[in-house]
Amino acid sequence: MNTSTWIVLGVVVLAVLFIVGQYNSLVRLNVGVDEAFAQIEVQLQRRSDLVPNLVETVKGYAAHESATFEKVVAARAKATAAQGVEAVAEADGSMTQALRGLLAVSEAYPDLKASENFRALQEELSSTENKIGFARQYYNDNVRSLNAKIVAIPGRFFAGMAKVVARPFYEVTDPGKRDVPAVSFS
Amino acid sequence: MADFRAAQQQNRTKTWVMLGLMGSVTAIAFYAAAVFMGSSSVGIVPIAVGIALAGVWGSYYGSDKLVLAMTGARVISHDDAPQLFNLVEELTLAAGLPMPKVAIVEDNAPNAFATGRDPEHAVIAFTSGILRSMDREQLQGVAAHELAHVANRDTLVMAVAATTAGAIAILSDMVLRVTFWTGGNRDNNNGGGGNPVAVIAALIALILAPIAALLLKSAVSRKRESLADATAVAFTRNPAGLRKALEVLASDSTVVHQKSNSVAHVWIESPLDNSTTSNLFSTHPPLSERIAILKQMEQGG
Repeated sequence: MNTSTWIVLGVVVLAVLFIVGQYNSLVRLNVGVDEAFAQIEVQLQRRSDLVPNLVETVKGYAAHESATFEKVVAARAKATAAQGVEAVAEADGSMTQALRGLLAVSEAYPDLKASENFRALQEELSSTENKIGFARQYYNDNVRSLNAKIVAIPGRFFAGMAKVVARPFYEVTDPGKRDVPAVSFS
Repeated sequence: MADFRAAQQQNRTKTWVMLGLMGSVTAIAFYAAAVFMGSSSVGIVPIAVGIALAGVWGSYYGSDKLVLAMTGARVISHDDAPQLFNLVEELTLAAGLPMPKVAIVEDNAPNAFATGRDPEHAVIAFTSGILRSMDREQLQGVAAHELAHVANRDTLVMAVAATTAGAIAILSDMVLRVTFWTGGNRDNNNGGGGNPVAVIAALIALILAPIAALLLKSAVSRKRESLADATAVAFTRNPAGLRKALEVLASDSTVVHQKSNSVAHVWIESPLDNSTTSNLFSTHPPLSERIAILKQMEQGG
């Protein structure tokens, strides 16, 4: 074989390696997003598992706050049924809000706040909230990398081949944060 | 520098530049040895590299167990310190890392370290002093810094730096000793130093190379600390937590009873350096500088 054959062969090998590299990095990013989402769901599940215990503990001291308990139970049912990023994020927001209501109610009961069981549950709950927050952040970071790769050159030429599409960000619509309370001065 | 992504990138680039420079110093030292000793130096090079490799890579591979034993750290589970354990678990989610072993060192000085050859064998340890003197936000900053070392594989980076510095030191030491013992015979036997100017230049290079390598190793360590600070912010998105933690460390004068040089670089605050002033051999950047960079990130973010 002469020199030019070797050069052509070399270029072909390099091109193949380049394509494989691009393809693999797209697939890796895509799987990373799936894994990150699975992690959010694991943490949401953990929070849902804490709920019955928490509700029972609060009920022991504040049995008549049934409206608050119902909200939490309804949010839990919604969270269990949710599928897909948007639905899960929405259910997540409702649950956060319902739990905030429950904790606000518990503020009025000093005996409850002093109970050992409640305090342990509260540390577990706030830790789980943090975990959900960090899992969201990690998911959104991964989505950010993937979406940037898909629109940038050379990634955009290979996205179709790797069957990788832009993924949605996980955005919690927290009604408590958006709605400004109506203030009346009369 | 106000942005942690830029800070991470900058420190990564600088690490590579410094490791590259260390490679150049190694090449110069080997070349100098060859000029100085002639053909007999050929056997010395693999011996020096071999000794350095054996010494460093053994401690790198078993770093989790070794450092735990040397510092007397006790591995804990969730129920021993629920808050600390939860806090670390939270951060592993931000980092996308497996849960490391968490350990406590009984020591009144506030400090913490991370070690382990890879994220699967990582250990992060806190002194009992740091658990007493910091609140949850500050501890989160410290834990994020340690987890950042794990994520950035700093045990590996420092093992590479230590191997290179070690090989150069051993090589220089061997060449100079052999010269001292054999004295003037060298020229007659090998004829390696035909040109006296080259021989003297090689001698100077051999004396200076270990110092240069040590300086570079310290510089790499400092860059990895800055990188870990930036990565910690990437995990927590809260520069204030780590900043407040470093301020606690700065205001505290007690020092970990750990005076062993070999594990000094693993602590968040160096047990050897004077924390207010920097010098070229410091393994950590001065706390005041780290605090200033984090303050910039607070304003930028």
